[in-house]
Amino acid sequence: MTVNSQVLGYIVSEESYSDKAVIVKEGSVGDWVYVILEGRVKIKKRISGGLLTIDTLSEGNFVGEMAMLKQSNSTRSAWAVADGPVILGVLDSVRLLQEWESQPAKIKKLISNLIQNIEKSTQKAADMIEASK
Amino acid sequence: MTKTKGKFPPVVTLNYSKGDLIIKEGDYGISIYEIISGKVGIFVQSGGTETSVAVLGPGMIVGEMAFIAGNTSTRSASARALEDCCLEVWHPAMLLNAYQKMPEVLRLIAGQALKLIVRMNKMVVELSLKQGQPMNRQTQELSDQWTEERKFFRKMVSLECIFRPVNSPKNLKFLGRIRDISKEGLQMTVKTSGLLNYTLTSGDELFISTYFTLDQKVNMTAKIAWLQKGKTGGTISFGMVFTHMDPDDRKRLGFFLMP
Repeated sequence: MTVNSQVLGYIVSEESYSDKAVIVKEGSVGDWVYVILEGRVKIKKRISGGLLTIDTLSEGNFVGEMAMLKQSNSTRSAWAVADGPVILGVLDSVRLLQEWESQPAKIKKLISNLIQNIEKSTQKAADMIEASK
Repeated sequence: MTKTKGKFPPVVTLNYSKGDLIIKEGDYGISIYEIISGKVGIFVQSGGTETSVAVLGPGMIVGEMAFIAGNTSTRSASARALEDCCLEVWHPAMLLNAYQKMPEVLRLIAGQALKLIVRMNKMVVELSLKQGQPMNRQTQELSDQWTEERKFFRKMVSLECIFRPVNSPKNLKFLGRIRDISKEGLQMTVKTSGLLNYTLTSGDELFISTYFTLDQKVNMTAKIAWLQKGKTGGTISFGMVFTHMDPDDRKRLGFFLMP
């Protein structure tokens, strides 16, 4: 997957991460949204006794978008960790947030609901894995 | 109660009773629902059983996944009323225009979120199938509701049955196959060639008998609620609502429907 040309227009800076470097820390506060320009990023959730990988993202995928869209608080809901060397594009968060805020209420509700469901579902999966240990 | 929004279909509110199926997995559906009151459970079918993947409450949205995925996709999960519910139904025509005008970056983000929720739901289903019983408090809470919900469980079956219209001669027998059954009614498929010159019509009352186990004959009377011709035309499917069942047969059905 390549990076969408319109998305490229939002990039304000680039950041490089080495293998296993932490990009986003679960529980921390932040609303930066990144797009992967090169490499792979693993999304992990803390469970007792380790981290559960819930997704592996690659070029063109977004990192950190959930905190922006969930409309409650901007606490990071999972870890994002570099899987090999990674180059990320940092998106213009002011523009992105403005565009997001100007969407009709129902559209915002739809998407933030989707994000909430991801969190619920992820939590449920994490709980089940813990319970099975 | 309706509100009209320009040229778009009106926003309507619907009331569902506890146990009602709001969305059926696999169906083509385009409406989006906002929960006004009550709780809605989301269930995914796998390996012949339904697994609860989420319980949603007031203010939350049901049915958004098919919308984001595009109108040609089928419902990826079933939604059932876990309590008496009031839902506001949004026709997607209201939202489609706004969604298409949205900056591409936001649409791409929504698309990525959709893929992740599908993955996570699948993970939850696989885990619950593997583990059998949920163990901790949070999932226990969900399974309590699941048990409640099972009272209305619609069981997928493939049961041979014989039926005849009520008030027809007792020696008249048609063959059918029951596809699913609940406490409220059943769905049946019939080969049209076996119906001779009898035409099934909505509202017809039928006398049906089948066997839940080898020696347990059960008799039921039910009314046809809807009919649908099979894709090839050789079969007809219809949904029925029970109008009469003896207490013993009702008990047998209750046991049969238990998980």
